[in-house]
Amino acid sequence: MYRTLLGVLASLAVALAVAGLTFTASVEQSADFRFINGTEPRSLDPGLLTGQPEGRVARAIFEGLARLEARTLAPVPGAAASWEISPDGRTYTFHLRPDATWSDGRPVTAHDFAWSWRRLQDPALGAEYAYIVHMIRHARAFNLYGGHAEALAGPIAGALDALRREHSGGLEVSDWQAFVREHGLNELLKGTRNATLQASLLRQQGRIEADELAAVSAALPGEAAHRRALFEEAARRYGIDAGVFARDDWTLVVELEAPTPYFLELCTFYSTLPVPRHVVEVHPDDWFLPDTIVSNGPFVLADWRVGDRIRLERSESYWGRDQVGLASIDVLPVENATTSLNLYLTGAVDWLPGNYPSDLVEPLARRPDFYSGPGMIVYYYRLNTRRPPLDDPRGRLALNLAIDRELIVREVTRLGQVPAAHIVPPGMPGYESPESPVRTDLAEARRLLAEAGYPGGRGMRELGILYNTQEGHKKIAEVIADQLRRNLGLDVRAYNQEWQSYLASGQAGEYDVMRAGWIGDYLDPNTFLDMWISNGGNNQTGWSHARFDRLIQAAADVEGFSTGLADLDAGDGRVRSRLEGLQRAGDAAERRRAGAALRLELLRQAEAILVQELPILPIYFYVVSGLVNPQVEGFYSELSLPDGSRIPNLQDLHPLRAIRMARGEEAR
Amino acid sequence: MSGIEIASLVAGLLGVGATAWLSGRAARIVGALCLAALVFGLTRALLGLAGAGGLAAGLCALAVWRFPGLVLRRVAFAVPSLVLLIYATTLLMYKAPGNPFAGERAATPAVEQALRAHYGVPESATEFFAIYLRRLVMEGSLGPSIKVQGRTVEELLLPALPVSMALGLLALTLACALGIGLGVLAGLRPNSAVDHGSMALALIGISLPNFVIGAVLLIVFALGLGWLPVAGWGGYPHVVLPAVTLALPYAAYIARLARSGTLEVMQEDFIRTARAKGLSEPAVVLRHALKGALLPVVSFLGPAAAGILTGSFVVEVLFGVPGMGQWFVKGAINRDYSVVLGTAIVYFTLVTAFNLFVDLAYAWLDPRVRDAEAR
Amino acid sequence: MSAPAANGWVRLRRNRAALAGAAVLAAITGLCFVAPLLFGLDPHTTDPAARHLGPSGAHWFGTDALGRDYLSRCLVGGRTSLLVGLAATVTSVLVGVVWGAVAGYSGGRVDEVMMRFVDFFYGIPYMFLVILIMLLFSETARGEPLPVFLALGLVQWLTMARIVRGQVLTLREREFVQAAIVSGAGPVHIIVRHILPNVVNVVVVYATLTVPAVIILESFLSFLGLGVKLSWGQLVAEGVAVVNPIQSYWWLLFWPSLLLGATLLCLNFLGDGLRDALDPRTRT
Repeated sequence: MYRTLLGVLASLAVALAVAGLTFTASVEQSADFRFINGTEPRSLDPGLLTGQPEGRVARAIFEGLARLEARTLAPVPGAAASWEISPDGRTYTFHLRPDATWSDGRPVTAHDFAWSWRRLQDPALGAEYAYIVHMIRHARAFNLYGGHAEALAGPIAGALDALRREHSGGLEVSDWQAFVREHGLNELLKGTRNATLQASLLRQQGRIEADELAAVSAALPGEAAHRRALFEEAARRYGIDAGVFARDDWTLVVELEAPTPYFLELCTFYSTLPVPRHVVEVHPDDWFLPDTIVSNGPFVLADWRVGDRIRLERSESYWGRDQVGLASIDVLPVENATTSLNLYLTGAVDWLPGNYPSDLVEPLARRPDFYSGPGMIVYYYRLNTRRPPLDDPRGRLALNLAIDRELIVREVTRLGQVPAAHIVPPGMPGYESPESPVRTDLAEARRLLAEAGYPGGRGMRELGILYNTQEGHKKIAEVIADQLRRNLGLDVRAYNQEWQSYLASGQAGEYDVMRAGWIGDYLDPNTFLDMWISNGGNNQTGWSHARFDRLIQAAADVEGFSTGLADLDAGDGRVRSRLEGLQRAGDAAERRRAGAALRLELLRQAEAILVQELPILPIYFYVVSGLVNPQVEGFYSELSLPDGSRIPNLQDLHPLRAIRMARGEEAR
Repeated sequence: MSGIEIASLVAGLLGVGATAWLSGRAARIVGALCLAALVFGLTRALLGLAGAGGLAAGLCALAVWRFPGLVLRRVAFAVPSLVLLIYATTLLMYKAPGNPFAGERAATPAVEQALRAHYGVPESATEFFAIYLRRLVMEGSLGPSIKVQGRTVEELLLPALPVSMALGLLALTLACALGIGLGVLAGLRPNSAVDHGSMALALIGISLPNFVIGAVLLIVFALGLGWLPVAGWGGYPHVVLPAVTLALPYAAYIARLARSGTLEVMQEDFIRTARAKGLSEPAVVLRHALKGALLPVVSFLGPAAAGILTGSFVVEVLFGVPGMGQWFVKGAINRDYSVVLGTAIVYFTLVTAFNLFVDLAYAWLDPRVRDAEAR
Repeated sequence: MSAPAANGWVRLRRNRAALAGAAVLAAITGLCFVAPLLFGLDPHTTDPAARHLGPSGAHWFGTDALGRDYLSRCLVGGRTSLLVGLAATVTSVLVGVVWGAVAGYSGGRVDEVMMRFVDFFYGIPYMFLVILIMLLFSETARGEPLPVFLALGLVQWLTMARIVRGQVLTLREREFVQAAIVSGAGPVHIIVRHILPNVVNVVVVYATLTVPAVIILESFLSFLGLGVKLSWGQLVAEGVAVVNPIQSYWWLLFWPSLLLGATLLCLNFLGDGLRDALDPRTRT
């Protein structure tokens, strides 16, 4: 008996002692401001970041050339004290702040930025978001063309030869498209000026004859050599004396291929944050961990316990440290919605962005500390256009008309989400989506389905609606499945997969209908449209449309494409009139404006095709929401512009630099 | 699955099975060699080639000379098993849809190739296995995590392991104390109110998933009364709810085992003898009955410990505890291959070690088993 | 049925808890499988405007977040859970009994090798194996519970194999088996005719305890988002998320927990009763 008791006591003591050892001293003191950050950041290396949770932390510890002013989210001077933009909008000259330093005391110079931006494009880094600044001269060439040249000259040429041998009498266009897709030719040849290659990529109908294949094959070496040359020049010069370069220690020059109205916003984006060359070169793989990291932002990374918390502390070397309101921040990687809400309700965190149990949205929305507003995100369903009945536009339209979006936003999501009939969220500066009323029309839907060959759903196999595992997605999928079942007589099942399987199913095209969402990378309609080009990496629906592809290509390079632009007019003269505007334009500034107008019109036409063809069903535009402690100041769920107007915080960005706590020194 | 993969799997299984064939002396030698290999892998990074080699050789000699046969036999079994486990898990992971490099925005093939090379994750499962095993033995490293960049798997698991161990040990202790107490009380007075009451309590513990019990505790003690924090890990108050939640089902099982053990032992002749000798009832219970009640409990401890360790992740998710459980689930869901393998290895080792420990304890409690097991 | 088993049934009939358990279990099973058909209950039709209604005459169990009748959902969900429990248990019994009987009867090296495999599988965290198997089938199954049966059955047979093997080892030394061996009966014949009937008791007892274990495991999977389409585990996991001081839709947690808890409780009572009645060791 005594031995047993002793044993129990001993193991109790050991357990408590071990537990005690795992509570580290550094986090026992609560931070000034604590928030739920969703998933654990994969990395804090700005070059390798891909998501919002990572971006929140990275933007707190690093500072780009510009930073976002919290109240307006307009770019204001950050590491650069000022800048000039050339009249043609193609050259930016940044003057760096002489008092900006890294957290180890070294000055932040123009060379640091030039090196960081070169690193972002370096093919060896493999940065997913490198493309976001591909409008800088040589950036795209440096980032991609070396790989392209190698692929075109090697494996692609070989595969094409094999294809030609196999199909010496030519082949069906569908087989050709499969080849294009399998080898990612669209990505590889994007932006080619070779007419043969351009035409072959856009082929939608008929047969590809042997001589056409031979022409493609003959064009490849030239294209490869051309890209190799571009790459070599870019590798020699990008970040050194062209594209982006330091004119002197405090002057950074950036040259753009085409004027980009949102370029200053990009200078605040996490991918363009500077990295400390002197540390990265010593610890290339783990320089961003607490022991080694050197940063230039308002906060420093004090501690990072994976799965537990990230602790940020005010940087004493930051030039604007007097403007930083918080001495310390705890970033909690909590993924479970219930746990997150419980932490907020008990006052253990001050900010809960979004991730609360979706069933509780109504009682939560009544609370004074709840905020919500429209977001730059579209919620939509991909339709697999390779499978019946979705291969038939009438089938897709039938589905579209059988869904009651109003009901979904009113009774399921319940936060004032806007039902969507198009794909680009409202609020893009200067852009107006094509007119497309949200409507539900069951009679029309049934008629279309019957026309597509499935009257009353008869003869149709079971349709699956795939969503990634999450409560909110599940509800919408189940409601839509039920609506399709009852309205069209189809046999529909909603089923889920966890994230990686879900991605794999999408990329392999193994689904009928799948839920998706798209967050705009930047404030421009292009970010919602260019992914739908034929065989684009994120298209995944099997849908392709020649005119759509050309519109997107033309929009990416209005001036380079201008010769063939007249053909793209839909007949209403809208493209033609803007094209004439561009041709008439006198000085550089006018030309820039006319070019921008033409570009937006091209994108609008592309969206009109999307809305008509419906490879995707837009469902609604997101509302971003969350809970924030009323004592938090400097947190703007609605932005106030200098002209007094108020606009939504579309990207749900809340710079931590501006946040302060009203409770002051009060003990917790 | 390719022919080579199936053949390798079968060969691996046979290899593991073959360790049963080893004679006593052969088992000593093989076990000692395996132990040396383990120690070499573990200390290689710390001590360098010569240091680790020396240590391993020394330990090997010591093991052949002095270690109990039971221990060496288990080690001789565990090391080939680990290799097989790594291979089989690798195959399963590679067969599952998706890969760790897929993101919402499709990566270009060049980017994916660069990442695969950087993390040592080629497209063939067998190649990955070779790279992984080589790194494990030669560098003593579990490899880099793919989803938590800049860190190796051991850097992720080492801080998490003590958290889970502490939580598990605490839960196990609680479960034993509660279970044995209730069970013995119930067993001493079968069919009394005490018996029915404690068994009913125990049955509730088994009848609901522990995340329901945990949620109810959470609502009452954390959200309602505000006595305890709702989630996190940073002080003793954080430990209470997860430990209790984790302990309850096991306390229930243990109570039932202890009850039937007590029932059985109270009918044995030696108890009657003890009573006849004039020992007081408490003395009979403490000296003799408890030991009988403990035997089935001890043999349950091995599986229970394994269950608590591996079953804790639901509780860890519910209470936001930064333990091993999160890696267990996240690793698989994110297809973070090296994290999956790392957790599998750690769990397998822990479970095997714990079973060994329990067997040793069992042998200590019951000499008959000692002779049978030692062989 | 052999004599000791018949004896056991008599004893079981005297165990009121076990009998009550069996009765309630039968009632729940009957309700789950028959009631939805009889009364035309529909667990899928949504009516989001009538969401989160508490229990009432129209909806005895209330409605869920999409306005679906919760009684129907609980009953149809019960089908999945009970089927998962049953199917996984059958799988584990089949594999476990065969493995254990062959190992125990063969004895010697074969036995040792076979038991090493069991030891090996014991070392693999079962939940981990289940998750990997679930991932493997997530694409093809579309929420159908078949892979869950498979995965859970595959991790549950180990203990069964050990128990059966232990029994067979002792049975093999008994006179009637030895007599059969001497009289030249083949091993398959001996195992089927002489050994298996004598391990039925233990197998039945352990199987009754496996069903609740499997149902609980399935609920863990649901909690982690890896579960099947509609099961008690799924409903309980969803219910846990909406019981909160802010607003409590308590019926969403209460009903599935009640059904799940009652089922598991009954299974445990029944299992205990069976053990007390059939297990030779507790015979007085």
